[in-house]
Amino acid sequence: MDSEGFDALVATHHPEIYRYLLRTTFRASEAEDLAQETFLRAYRAHRTLPSDANSRAWLFAIATNVARNHFRSESRRRHAHAAVHAEGSLAVADGPEGQTLFNETRVRLETVVAGLPLKQRLAFTLRKVHELDYDAVARSLDCSVDSARAHVFQALRKIRRSLNGYGLPLGSDDR
Amino acid sequence: MTRKPATCLEIEPALVAAATGEADTTTAARVEAHTRTCASCRGEFASYRAIDRAVDTWRGAPAPVEPSARERLEVRLADLRRRALLYRIFPSPLGPILIARSEEGVTCVEYLVAGRDFAHSRLARVPGVEPIEDGAEVEGLYGELLEFVEGRRSRLAWPLDLRLARSDFHRAVLTATARIPYGAVRSYAGIAREVGRPSATRAVAQALRWNPLPIVVPCHRVIGLSGALTGYAGDKLTLKQRLLSVEGVPAVKIGHDFRVPRDAMYVRSPDGSAYCLPSCSWIVAEPPQELTLFGSPARAEAAGLEPCSDCHPDLHPISR
Repeated sequence: MDSEGFDALVATHHPEIYRYLLRTTFRASEAEDLAQETFLRAYRAHRTLPSDANSRAWLFAIATNVARNHFRSESRRRHAHAAVHAEGSLAVADGPEGQTLFNETRVRLETVVAGLPLKQRLAFTLRKVHELDYDAVARSLDCSVDSARAHVFQALRKIRRSLNGYGLPLGSDDR
Repeated sequence: MTRKPATCLEIEPALVAAATGEADTTTAARVEAHTRTCASCRGEFASYRAIDRAVDTWRGAPAPVEPSARERLEVRLADLRRRALLYRIFPSPLGPILIARSEEGVTCVEYLVAGRDFAHSRLARVPGVEPIEDGAEVEGLYGELLEFVEGRRSRLAWPLDLRLARSDFHRAVLTATARIPYGAVRSYAGIAREVGRPSATRAVAQALRWNPLPIVVPCHRVIGLSGALTGYAGDKLTLKQRLLSVEGVPAVKIGHDFRVPRDAMYVRSPDGSAYCLPSCSWIVAEPPQELTLFGSPARAEAAGLEPCSDCHPDLHPISR
């Protein structure tokens, strides 16, 4: 890929990569820093990217690595968890009256996701929010496709258990 | 607490897949059949459906990038681009050679000690640049450089990026040196005069000692007034002799040094249009440090010079 190709890559993918990192860190300033780091790393490596490569999946893999490095410090993780509790939600405005319960569910969803083990959280966000295929999720997390599926499954399971009784239809998992 | 029945445990991954839109039709049908008869799994299914819908709104929630964040990214990328030097270490008949280029031009050619890696290179210690290993970008330069040192190419027409020069004076010396034609030699004193510092002969030698682009900026074509090769890239005098020999400039070994026979070389005329014999009346009056010397008429003519019509070097070649 040449320089112009890289400019186009930034223009196309920066907003989404930023959103991914915002959903991962829950802080705009950290998301901005990590998105910068992602694209600086991408610039250093972009010439080796084959022309037929999936550049979006490639950028998500870099962003995931950057995020994992960032969270390697446990204190930063707690900090992120605290951020989502304090700020409540990334949502900008409440919806109509009938939506309130639904929005609450989403706010709780974000809170629960923030508390998931890192790999599950990243796998869930990559697969469910950004809709990457499992191959790409596996590449991002440097694991097998089966492990990627297992991380997403475990994440959903924990989310359901945590949300039971908070506006979700009750499941049977109170046993 | 009751334990979940084995069938329910077994079907749970399929149930999650079906509720979140990831199941194929067979799996979905299996889950549907099970949830028709199992109320607790039906409830679970509904929970997962609700989560899936919440995820949909999360996905759709706007989280725009501030324009200023994008600007800050562009500034950092532009800075990285300016500092980036793409390099690779190649084998060559002269030993391992590191070649690096920026977006502006070739920036560094460095002779490495065999077996030493990038961490031991001079480039690794240069502040303010960001070396990025990337062979493809410098592969073409390497190919041409190889042809050059093997005598199969006489021109390296690469744009130069002299950012690694240590001062403006060094940069001026390198620029003057880059103008010496293939197959010709000049003196350190001549370069000093050309850059407007006629007494700075030693400083010129120092500047060439730190030449970040040997071969490309042909410091091997700068010799002492006596004809002695004097020095090259630290202690690589033999290399200097070898590069000159490839270009057709003779140099005989005298002690630890080599000497170009100045009185047996063709000389560029003062007006720069012709080449002469050293005994030509146009030449004998010239200060020796001004002279550009060629090893052969062919090299002088390749540099665009005509044979002098007074001394006729084409008719009376120098015998060595």
